[in-house]
Amino acid sequence: MKSALVYQTLVLAALALVPGIGEALYFHDKISWRSSIPASEMVSVEQARAWGDSAIWVDARPDEDFAHNHVPGAFSLNEDRWNALLPQFLAAWSPSKKVVVYCSSLNCNASREVARRLRDEAQLKNVFVLEGGWEEWLKKK
Amino acid sequence: MRAQIFVFALSIVICAKAQAELKWEQTTIELRPTPADKQAIGHFKYQNMGDKSVHFKSVRTSCGCTAAQTQKDEVPPGDKGEITATFNIGDRTGTQVKTVTVETDDPASTTTVLTLKAVIPQQLAITPTFVFWQQGEAPNRKTIGVSAAKDFPVKHLKVASSSPDFEAKVSETGNGQFKISVQPKDTKQPFAATLTIQPEGSPKTFYATARVTTAPAINSR
Amino acid sequence: MTSATFNLKLRTSNILWRIVDLIVGGIFIYAGALKMFDPVRFASDIDNYKILPWTIGVALAFYVPWLEIFCGIALVLRFLYRGGLSILTALVLVFTLATVAAKVRGLDITCGCFGHASQHWSFPAHIATNLAILAALLALCFQAAAKRKAAH
Repeated sequence: MKSALVYQTLVLAALALVPGIGEALYFHDKISWRSSIPASEMVSVEQARAWGDSAIWVDARPDEDFAHNHVPGAFSLNEDRWNALLPQFLAAWSPSKKVVVYCSSLNCNASREVARRLRDEAQLKNVFVLEGGWEEWLKKK
Repeated sequence: MRAQIFVFALSIVICAKAQAELKWEQTTIELRPTPADKQAIGHFKYQNMGDKSVHFKSVRTSCGCTAAQTQKDEVPPGDKGEITATFNIGDRTGTQVKTVTVETDDPASTTTVLTLKAVIPQQLAITPTFVFWQQGEAPNRKTIGVSAAKDFPVKHLKVASSSPDFEAKVSETGNGQFKISVQPKDTKQPFAATLTIQPEGSPKTFYATARVTTAPAINSR
Repeated sequence: MTSATFNLKLRTSNILWRIVDLIVGGIFIYAGALKMFDPVRFASDIDNYKILPWTIGVALAFYVPWLEIFCGIALVLRFLYRGGLSILTALVLVFTLATVAAKVRGLDITCGCFGHASQHWSFPAHIATNLAILAALLALCFQAAAKRKAAH
């Protein structure tokens, strides 16, 4: 009797696994397993580097962090001084460029916010958030 | 069956026991800064209700723009205090949620997440904030939509272009909605201008950018 | 009591229990389907509870809705009935605990068993719904156990 219950439970648990996996495969590019942003809006350090000159780097960290060190050629664009910094970045942007936004680490939010504002407010296309941020960039230097 | 009832009963017992020694007056604070405010500050007050001292092990914030401050590292029984979370507004808009994670050696609850929610008024929504033409493209008009927040009545809008290369005209479409139509003189040379958008009677200025870009059209992705 | 009235009583009570089965099963099929259509949102809802790492949350977002649907169907069809009952009871317990834990930690959660349909529910409404469903499930468990005893 106990074993019948266990058996039923396992059968149901296994049954649900089938469409669950199917759905996971179907949604694979809509959601990232590593962080809470869709995979299509993220870019890895390797990929962003491979873009070479067609990438334009945006540093979403506060001014002090940018002053201390940053990705060579990156533009500082944080929400503390958004209005002052945005024109400088837009002056260097061109439609063929891919925008790579980073903040300090995997868990920081600033790059997502900056990327969102570039997409929604400035209506730029090809805006990506760097996976792992500055920490990851340093690690793979 | 028995086991399920047991688990249920146990869960109730666990919930009841989860009373922290360090009692927080509130763990969520919602602030509504005015457009003139530079900072939003939340005061999370606590009191040690237990009979032992509680030590703060760490106070971490979810992002660089929030600074949390403990007044003391040790809280003797019965003592009160507060953790201050300061949020620099900068040029942020909309609802900003920042968390402060507090770790203590209180055995009943070692980690507490304090939430500071700041609802920053967005007086004008400007979309897009950037218009561009590619070099050689026909210099047609492009439109920037401006809409005022419900509690921020705007009768009149002034728009100035930093360069005579762009012409910007405002038209009111009613109900706090405006249209700024932007047109470059020509698109032979790359150049840029900042459009200054000034609502009548507001101390705050808003910006948009207009540009003629150099790069040829590439349809990537 | 004649055997005829006894049978009638038994049948009415059986029908009543069937109705409870259908309602509870239906609720879970509905709740599961809602979340199944938008796993991305469900994943971020799970993430709001700040209990599980993101990756596990994503896995659950794909799996749990289907589990609810299948167990709901099991209840409706009375096929693999006891298995469905015990899984659902466990699920509701976990939901309730997670909601309470989130409340205790002062998190602002925008979700419950009904995906985003319940995002504006208050905490007491959440808990009340969860407990009502839990009570119905436990009653069904007792009923199933009693029946098995009677049959033996």
